[in-house]
Amino acid sequence: MLAQQLVNAISLGGVYALFALGFTLVFGVLNVVNLAHGAIFMLGAYAALQAVIHLRLPLLASALVAMLITGVAGWLLDRLIFAPLRTRRAPHLAPMIATIGLAISLNSLVQGFFGAENLRFPVDALLAEGLSIAGVQITWLELRIIFLAFVLMAALLWGLKKTRIGCALRGLAESPKAAALMGVDVEGLFRMTSVIAAALGGVAGVLIALYTNAVFPQMGQPMLHKGIAVVILGGMGDIRGALLGGFFLGFAEVLSVAYVGSTMRDAVAFGLLFVILLFRPEGLFGKSAQRRA
Amino acid sequence: MKLKQTLLGIILELGFACGVTVAAEIKIGVAEALTGNAAQYGVPIRKGFELAVGELNGSGGINGNKIELVIEDEQGKKEEAINVFKKLIFQDKVLMLFGPTLSNSAQASDPVAQAGKVVVFGTSNTADGITSIGNYVFRNSVTEADILPVTLKVAAQKTGLKKVAVLYGNDDIFTKSGYDNFAKTLQALKIPVATTETFAKGDVDFKPQLTKIKASNPDAIVLSALVAEGGPIMVQARQLAITLPFIGGNGMNSPRVFELAKDSSDNLWVGSPWSVENPAAENKRFIAAYQKAYGSLPDQFAAQAYDAVYIVAQALKKVKPTGKLDADRKALRDALPGTQWTGVTGPFKFRQVTGRDSKPAGYDAVQTAIVMMTKGNQYVIQK
Amino acid sequence: MEWLESFWATYSTLVLSVGTNVLLALSIYLTLACGLLTVANAAFMGLGAYTAGLLTINTGTPFLLALLLGALVPALVALIIGRPTLRLSGVYLAMATLAFGEVVRIVILNAENLTGGALGLNGIPQLTGWFEVMSAVSFTLYILLRLARSRVGRAMAAIRQDEIATELMGLNVRSYKLFVFVFGAALAGLAGALNAHFTFFISPNEYGFERGVEILAMGVLGGSGSPWGAVIGGLLITLLPELLRGLGHYRPLINGVILIVIILYAPRGIWELTRYVRFPTRTPTAN
Repeated sequence: MLAQQLVNAISLGGVYALFALGFTLVFGVLNVVNLAHGAIFMLGAYAALQAVIHLRLPLLASALVAMLITGVAGWLLDRLIFAPLRTRRAPHLAPMIATIGLAISLNSLVQGFFGAENLRFPVDALLAEGLSIAGVQITWLELRIIFLAFVLMAALLWGLKKTRIGCALRGLAESPKAAALMGVDVEGLFRMTSVIAAALGGVAGVLIALYTNAVFPQMGQPMLHKGIAVVILGGMGDIRGALLGGFFLGFAEVLSVAYVGSTMRDAVAFGLLFVILLFRPEGLFGKSAQRRA
Repeated sequence: MKLKQTLLGIILELGFACGVTVAAEIKIGVAEALTGNAAQYGVPIRKGFELAVGELNGSGGINGNKIELVIEDEQGKKEEAINVFKKLIFQDKVLMLFGPTLSNSAQASDPVAQAGKVVVFGTSNTADGITSIGNYVFRNSVTEADILPVTLKVAAQKTGLKKVAVLYGNDDIFTKSGYDNFAKTLQALKIPVATTETFAKGDVDFKPQLTKIKASNPDAIVLSALVAEGGPIMVQARQLAITLPFIGGNGMNSPRVFELAKDSSDNLWVGSPWSVENPAAENKRFIAAYQKAYGSLPDQFAAQAYDAVYIVAQALKKVKPTGKLDADRKALRDALPGTQWTGVTGPFKFRQVTGRDSKPAGYDAVQTAIVMMTKGNQYVIQK
Repeated sequence: MEWLESFWATYSTLVLSVGTNVLLALSIYLTLACGLLTVANAAFMGLGAYTAGLLTINTGTPFLLALLLGALVPALVALIIGRPTLRLSGVYLAMATLAFGEVVRIVILNAENLTGGALGLNGIPQLTGWFEVMSAVSFTLYILLRLARSRVGRAMAAIRQDEIATELMGLNVRSYKLFVFVFGAALAGLAGALNAHFTFFISPNEYGFERGVEILAMGVLGGSGSPWGAVIGGLLITLLPELLRGLGHYRPLINGVILIVIILYAPRGIWELTRYVRFPTRTPTAN
């Protein structure tokens, strides 16, 4: 049983990490807790589902459609909400509250179009055939999720480290003012970050919807709770932290079901988060940098 | 194009809000969750009501009077349910109320109807104790207490199960109430429980629980869940190579199982007065009409809502409108308990329950359960 | 008068909800005014609701006493977790309090024998009337307005502007923070206790993440510069969905858009807009 539970933990961790990547990116660069990330994640799942059903696209192409649509949503989010708030020098809570409004609207819109019921990707689109290795069951899909979480994270890290844009982004995360003085197109970078983060959220939506077999308007909500926990555990705005935090939460949940009892699954996860914050305010894996006010 | 429809929708709704009312004589309030989490149950319920009322009005209404539904969204929240109930009772002055969707909301809003002496008729509230609120509270949603023993007995007999594992949603009144009844029944039937696991509403990953269940070596999994979680649970179980039978509550009785758990849905046992496979003429007609109107198969929520309208219609036929609202509301209450009806959920009558003060209170449904097993993406009725 | 009677019959619950939501908004105003972003208010509300509800159902405690204890228990809990938690700041504080709130909710859910678990607490006597709610709101508002103009209020504003400078001036920042946190918890508990006694029924899921975010939205939308901002926020968040009722399916859509528009044009909250009217010569300071 333990071997199976460890595999469960790794794939759940991959799911959480995948969701947290875009979430933590927006926080790191734009300094915004984007409570609409769950709704964008949901939008991605619906976009791909429509592409599979109506355009009869293969899964990979549908995931690209989802990224495209959520990317546009990310562009609009920054253009219509974050950018005006930046120009008005709004206090840092303002964008977060605006994203609550956006999440409510997006959920309502999607429900209006597609209904409130749970939907599912057509079975032939699934990669659900299982592998059985020494009594441990895993599906190709889970392997892909774990793999993709690593690949996307590696790509992001590489992009941030090695490219000029990445260098500018890191500067931006450090101090927007200084970056602007160095001739960095601050506004453009903010917008690009929002687009990339939303596209990451969209692809996460597709993969996680495939993994859990459930597409519904409120699907982002529980992920958002967990995503927040993951990002805190990993250190806010830390790309590697999102992955580590995801796996940490995955293991914490699975092991608490296995050895404590499933009624305490979330209590253990959030209790742990509370305790960790008290002792390591910068997150479990975050560098002990200065605290943000 | 879709956007246009949306905008048109908004404009139309605005138009209705501005008081474009259709001339009608019997006003019935409907308070269901049409947005938010519970909308996946509230929306089919609304469709069931509208289908039945359309048919009734099309065939001349009640003694020549048309029924008008005043539909409000209670969002699946208790304060909203109370607000909507009060609006319907005091402002729209409806004769009676259908709803609300969730048992949680019913616990909060049904006392309002009871205090206002207005019949409230739940079509989806299955939790224990709702009809104990008072003698104006009715429901045709069968409580699990009546159905589960039958389902379990039939399943135990046919599969020869010796011990079971239990999995249920512990933060939702519907699934928790279902679990309580399962636990009681299992005890009464002396079936040992290998392990009891829980999940929470909105959870999407059930593999840790299922892995634990697998390790406890049961002969079947008893599942108290709604289909939204139940579908993914079945898929994930099969992915873990768990081929055991599932025994579900009436939350799992929905053709949507076959969409949500396609190819993984075999060997699920459920009991319910309504079955999509029930060959009765009323049921065939209902399913055809529903599919024609909405383009999808009805579920149990829609079926019960549909029947509820006809049950009320039978009572209404016996009530002579006096034009005085209070008197009419009381007359309807007095006419309802004796109503019998054979609809899409089979023969139906009411049974009075006792309230918390052990005086006679509201009315539950008396119906017979049909036990079904899934095979090849279909329910097969078990005799 | 007949008009009033029919209005009250239809909208009494809504009016009472406005009152308890204003109390909730005031509870988060207290911490926001001090620059603290805490979101455990929903959990404190739940603790208050369950404490008072259990007391009136099981022991027949007089309502006033039950209300008092409903405020006291969450205050006590806040006192215990306050010291370690308030060392955190910014988003970390928000997340710690959020996590704490989730733990409280799950504990209430699992303490089935006492709380009824997911089935909730039924048959809570209807004891809250307009008088109790109005007194609670006006008394709280009076205290907070006095507080805002007192030494404590100035200290709170100073902590919000610059915590380190305030500490250097010799003020005991930690004590002030603990004070607002505990006071806020008591207010949220009181709101919960009042709310439980006009809605017949409470269940653990009402006091989760969504409620916490809703309370925060009230505080921020109204503006955290004055208790009046919280009053506006509470009114707005409660009444907006009712005013939009005619929109049917798309009500949440419009509701969300309105929230965004308000934040865009009044990022510091609606109350701050009135600042231009009140002090036409002063320009708002950026913090």
